[in-house]
Amino acid sequence: MKFTALTAAFLLIAQVVLANSEHESPFLIQAVQSGDLPPMSERLPENPRIMQTSKNGLTSGKYGGVLRMLMGKEKDIRRMVVFGYSRLVGFNLNLELTADILESYEIREGREFVFHLRKGHRWSDGQPFTSNDFRFYWEDVANNDDLFPFGPPKTFRVEGELPIVEYPDEWTVVYRWSRPNPHFLIELASPRPLFIYMPRHYLESFHPRYADRENLDEQAKSRGSRNWSGYFLKKARQYRLTNPELPSLQPWVNTTSPPAERYVFKRNPYFHRVDENRLQLPYIDQVQINIVSSSLIPAKTGAGESDLQGHYLRLDNFTFLKEGEQRNDYDVLLWKTLNGSHKALYPNLNSRDEEWRKLVRDVRFRRALSLAVNRHEINQVIYYGLANESGNTVLPESVFYEDEMQTWARYDPEQSNALLDSIGLRARNKRGLRLMPDGRPLEVIIHTAGESTEETDILELMHDSLLKVGIKIYTKPSQREVFRERIFSGDVMMSVWTGLENAMPTSGFSPDELAPTSQNQYQWPRWGQYHETSGKVGEKPDLPSARRLYDLYLTWSETTDVQQKQEIWREMLHIHTDEVFNIGIVNAVPQPIVVNGRLRNIPIEGLYAWFPTSYFGIYSPDTFWFDE
Amino acid sequence: MSTHYISEAPFDPHSVEQLTPEQEKLYLASQWQLMWLKLKQHRLAVGSSAVLIVIYLLALFCEFLSPYNLHARHTDYIFAPPQRVHVLHEGEFVGPFVYGYSYQLNMENLKREYTPDTQNIQKLRFFCRGDGYKFWGLFETDVHFVCPASDGYLFLFGTDRLGRDMYSRILHGARISLTIGLIGIALSFILGIVIGGIAGYYGGIVDNIIQRLIEILRSFPELPLWMALSATLPVTWSPILVFFGITLILALLDWTGLARAVRSKLLSLREEDYCTAAQLMGAKPKRIIGRHLLPGFMSHLIASASLSIPGMILGETALSFLGLGLRPPITSWGVLLNEAQNINVVALYPWLMLPVVPVIIVILAFNFLGDGLRDAADPYK
Repeated sequence: MKFTALTAAFLLIAQVVLANSEHESPFLIQAVQSGDLPPMSERLPENPRIMQTSKNGLTSGKYGGVLRMLMGKEKDIRRMVVFGYSRLVGFNLNLELTADILESYEIREGREFVFHLRKGHRWSDGQPFTSNDFRFYWEDVANNDDLFPFGPPKTFRVEGELPIVEYPDEWTVVYRWSRPNPHFLIELASPRPLFIYMPRHYLESFHPRYADRENLDEQAKSRGSRNWSGYFLKKARQYRLTNPELPSLQPWVNTTSPPAERYVFKRNPYFHRVDENRLQLPYIDQVQINIVSSSLIPAKTGAGESDLQGHYLRLDNFTFLKEGEQRNDYDVLLWKTLNGSHKALYPNLNSRDEEWRKLVRDVRFRRALSLAVNRHEINQVIYYGLANESGNTVLPESVFYEDEMQTWARYDPEQSNALLDSIGLRARNKRGLRLMPDGRPLEVIIHTAGESTEETDILELMHDSLLKVGIKIYTKPSQREVFRERIFSGDVMMSVWTGLENAMPTSGFSPDELAPTSQNQYQWPRWGQYHETSGKVGEKPDLPSARRLYDLYLTWSETTDVQQKQEIWREMLHIHTDEVFNIGIVNAVPQPIVVNGRLRNIPIEGLYAWFPTSYFGIYSPDTFWFDE
Repeated sequence: MSTHYISEAPFDPHSVEQLTPEQEKLYLASQWQLMWLKLKQHRLAVGSSAVLIVIYLLALFCEFLSPYNLHARHTDYIFAPPQRVHVLHEGEFVGPFVYGYSYQLNMENLKREYTPDTQNIQKLRFFCRGDGYKFWGLFETDVHFVCPASDGYLFLFGTDRLGRDMYSRILHGARISLTIGLIGIALSFILGIVIGGIAGYYGGIVDNIIQRLIEILRSFPELPLWMALSATLPVTWSPILVFFGITLILALLDWTGLARAVRSKLLSLREEDYCTAAQLMGAKPKRIIGRHLLPGFMSHLIASASLSIPGMILGETALSFLGLGLRPPITSWGVLLNEAQNINVVALYPWLMLPVVPVIIVILAFNFLGDGLRDAADPYK
């Protein structure tokens, strides 16, 4: 009798618990039942972000499963921040900015940003996520002389001025400048976001303002860091994900400390997104990243060892991958890449070789080079004729596209020869090579990062068509770090790298790629460095067209007028078309994506790019799910 | 008075044991003749040396023998499979010919599909004009042993991803693969014999210093050393010069084993009577080592030389395979194999792995020849 009463009572309790945990993922149920984890209603913010799955032609899923991915290097685990795409504000499928971690935000005159956090939003360890975390970053990290010796990151500076940051209450943060800062939100939404918040409750204990400094320095030394700041930064890597203890706001949280061959990311029980049925996202419980040699990734993918793979696959793997489609139950999709040119030549305008520098600064020479490239042949041979033959510019689908942008991207050896003659490179040697004014034959050494045969193949194809205009090219592969260093030092005449990162821009995107703003722009590394270091290192651009680009870029940053921004974009693209600063070959090259046959909610056609789509990021991998 | 009979006939020392002309040849033969006689009996070695001679001749005349130049591309025939040479067409004799390919790109899986078109007969031409080349850097010519029909193609071993003929590339690759290692071998050989000879002949403190030096050299880990060297060699060097540099450095590390063998052998041989005799007659160390001691262990030297040549060839292949050695556009067998190092090739274009075959043949041939030479170098055994 007593026994049945007990059983009945137990059943009752079980029923109550079950009713409560109806929407709970089976992965978490045990922890919830045992009281280790509060039930879902208490874990979610008061006002979670609801992902409109059905509106976007997607389906509502169910919990469970392990998503396996392959990566070639250990540091690739940072891609989980890119894929996870949990951002204060992020791009939606139409590439417009929308609030994500933020409940909402307001912009006043482009210079004042008011962020409203979600009440009850928590870090992955259950601690509240509040304006305190922003204050901690701004006051104790970004403005700490040991951690940031040169002051807060560049995005925070508008002509040298830092913002006034206010924290009216726990759920509100305000950033205010006296002039507009159009880069701020885009940086927050980018694949490698600017993290302007940090988990204060966790990192406090590593910061001398809240803990004993000597003790910290000692602790740091025993862990192999020089002082507390190195140790702090090591603990606080929100992008590199090397610290599994660091609380996170991403859909999946790393649980493996490096070095390892398999990294396991587990669902964040406090993630702030839900689907239409109020199921807490992500659907998938775990993401497993296996680190294997990058050359083996196509083979392993073809053997069905990856559930979602785009990295390290190339178009020429397509045939092989397609053969395994039936056998290993996956689909091979072809997404579109967004580069202005898949690979482009960068003549180095900052070369140390004086004669060469004079030559490449002559626009006729750059035009002649571009006209001498047989893009059709390259497209047919390497890209099965599926790519779009084009200069390094926006894609034809872009609002800014005009046919004139291809003026110098034709194949016209005759005109090319005529241009070279008009520069005065008439003299030729016995082998038919043109001679530079100082008598050297026109032999151009083109450096590559040596990562794929694709680049050397393109150059080999180019070799013959350039020989027809009397220019001989040599390919010199090296390693990526060496490659960069030698470009920066001016030892390189010309290099091969990918073209524009985002070839589908709108006027709201920063045109920084078109102006000398970064050392990593291989056509003018020293001019870019000049901007990056605010004039301390590098050289001031001394080509009128480059200066004009730079001025336009500055005007774009200052104005809030959409019309004017569009005009600026157009003019900058026109200058690039005209000046041929880099020589594009083809763009819109399809990218094979391998998707497990049971994985749902991945669009058949998509854009595969670092920026602005963050690869899978804007397609919300947290809404991907496994069907039976 | 008895007369003492003296035979008028000339004395024949071999009258008791009559030598056949063959035996005579053997007894009177010099050491090199003996080795040659012995080697001739080793069938495998003779066969192998014939194979090697043929292969080296192929490498020597590769421009003439290959139908195309090293970098000639046929962009309409990318990843074309090998063509078969036929003699009969529908039962009728037409002489050597290949069927042309009809090509189609399968848009479903982007596969380049080639089917032999039996209506398209392309007769091969011999001693014909094709791609121009500079023969041994001496004179320009365009004569090839075999060419495709004037508007046709000939891909005996198929083509690679840029439509380059694999047969021509393997022939051209042989030149680099078969020669560059020899220089390293020669250098390490000279170093090994000289340094080992000095150590063994003088002994004592000289020997001691040299032995410690060898121990230090032998304790260098090789792979990191190669990687460091391939990074530090001057960047202005062409890839072939870089690789040449690497072989030289390899040779500078490689002589130690041989030096040890030479030294220990000399240590024992220098105690022999004939060595003392030579010393008493006033021979210089150089002559004693070179003339009297070295022949005593020639067999060992020859064996280790013929065994380390394939080692060098494999080393080139391995280094290039790892991306440390030669790099395109230099073409060697290792480079060709490095390019074949991906899953597409294994699954879809297996003919790109053909350079494996000549590597195996050459390595085996060198090993068999070395085996024969070792036996021959000790003819009295």
